[in-house]
Amino acid sequence: MFHRNSTFRHLAIVALLLAMSLCASPPTAKAQAPKQSVDIFMGLDFNFRDIHFETQYDFLIRLTPGFKWNMGNHWQLSGQVMFPILNQYGYEYSFFQVNALNISKEFNIKSLYLKATAGAFSHNRYGLDLKAFLPLCEWFAFEGQAGYVGSVYVSPYWEIVAPNRFVGRLGGDIYLSRWNTQLRGVIGKYLYGDIGLEGEAMRHFNHTTVSMYGRWNNKFGLDAGFRVVIMLPPYHRKQRVVNFRPASNWRMSYSMMVREYSHQMYRTDPEENERDGWFSRDLLLWGSHTMEPDFIIKEKTKKNETP
Amino acid sequence: MKHLNINIIAALMLLWLLPQTGKAQQYTGISGLVHVPSGEMNHEGDAFIGAHFLNKAMTPDTGFIYYGDGEKYHTFDYFVSLTPFSWLELSYVCTERIYRKDAQGHVINWSKDRYASVKIRPLKEGKYHPAITIGGNDVLTAGYLPGHSEVQLYFCNFYAAATKHFTFGGNELGLTLCYRYYLRGYNAKWNGIVGGITFRPAFFPQARLIAEYTGNEFITGLDMLLWQHLRLQVSLKDFKHFYGGICLQFNLLGKKYKY
Repeated sequence: MFHRNSTFRHLAIVALLLAMSLCASPPTAKAQAPKQSVDIFMGLDFNFRDIHFETQYDFLIRLTPGFKWNMGNHWQLSGQVMFPILNQYGYEYSFFQVNALNISKEFNIKSLYLKATAGAFSHNRYGLDLKAFLPLCEWFAFEGQAGYVGSVYVSPYWEIVAPNRFVGRLGGDIYLSRWNTQLRGVIGKYLYGDIGLEGEAMRHFNHTTVSMYGRWNNKFGLDAGFRVVIMLPPYHRKQRVVNFRPASNWRMSYSMMVREYSHQMYRTDPEENERDGWFSRDLLLWGSHTMEPDFIIKEKTKKNETP
Repeated sequence: MKHLNINIIAALMLLWLLPQTGKAQQYTGISGLVHVPSGEMNHEGDAFIGAHFLNKAMTPDTGFIYYGDGEKYHTFDYFVSLTPFSWLELSYVCTERIYRKDAQGHVINWSKDRYASVKIRPLKEGKYHPAITIGGNDVLTAGYLPGHSEVQLYFCNFYAAATKHFTFGGNELGLTLCYRYYLRGYNAKWNGIVGGITFRPAFFPQARLIAEYTGNEFITGLDMLLWQHLRLQVSLKDFKHFYGGICLQFNLLGKKYKY
């Protein structure tokens, strides 16, 4: 499959840029990074659609067990699979799917925050990804994402296609802290080659974010909808070396137009969501990270130690 | 007698100064009376998810009839709604439509009419003036011309409403006046000046009695909030046709309200 020289050249260029950016990482982060730990978690991926006259809705419900190994200094190894437990979507959704298996590193160069990820992502994609966030002040920031990806399927049979597509997004965020409201606008090239614009207004509440979005792209036209992100309890947690917990959040995105191949972008983190953004709270204090944290984490101490 | 009157007037003046609140549930998930919009707003952070039975006597005369025999049918809708700010309410509603039945009378074709509703309050209720709201149903597709064949706009309407509350002896009386305009001609019977009265008793403020005029019929109803999260509404059109719903209510800011 890996037979095209140009593909290797592209891959090599992106890998080199990634390596250079990792080397440029300063030795200290802005805040104290959490101690090394492994989180093992599971959530529910809930999908429904209405495209048939004969049925009310079709449902696709999948379990999403995963892990995150926080290796310190904002290095992270993460993985996740999805098992269908109810599938009315069709044959292609009846198999387990690797949703993430990748290594990532977050760092900052002065006020430019970067996250580099390599490995397998959601949407059956793999490759390299670089995310950037540049806060100019407490209410305005630029964001960007660039990726070079191929596709990979592990079930029902192994199939891999070499990285052959550049995708990316570029946009800006406005955060109105008085109302915990975030406005976001991006232009991007997405997974299926479509080029589009998207505007989103998010209102962050206690443990919940609700947003409305409107978008347009060159292949599918206009669309609108809403998203809900609910951070799941327990909100007070003890931090151990190995932690078993539910998924940090439940996320739903509703589109008024059923356009499966419009504005699709992979997620690199198994628990990525619009409320938390791309970066760890202890590294980047901007936007919803300036609100009260959703999870109060207490370090587990031994009996003979003073906390 | 004069002494009593002064006491009553003083009590009314005092109660007038108390914070005025009004909560409700319409079939759209937006605050209001039963079929008539009001100047009231839900609390900031309130989220609703619920369903409402729609009597065939209250559905539009087009779009909710069986294919073939043209007979109207009872149906229901379900909705989610949110009040992201104290001056803005949003909701998204799906109304079940039945296309046709088989020979045994079983429904074999379903579809849904979906629409978004918006309500904005430019003027908050004050000591001497009512709250004023403007809003509409099916606002996202309302830009299409009314004659457009692909967009049905069954529930599309726009309105401006004013509501003033008066309190006496712990009871609360609300007066609502509204001007409403439906885009589709088959809903014209609900156009024009509409309004209603609400009464919230002091001994059980979670409940509210409603009487309203929709422009074509009178509706009497009752809604109440139970255990801070379960909201019920029952009503009768012209004392004959039942209309009602149930929904779950949460405040995403974590605040607790009696009603």
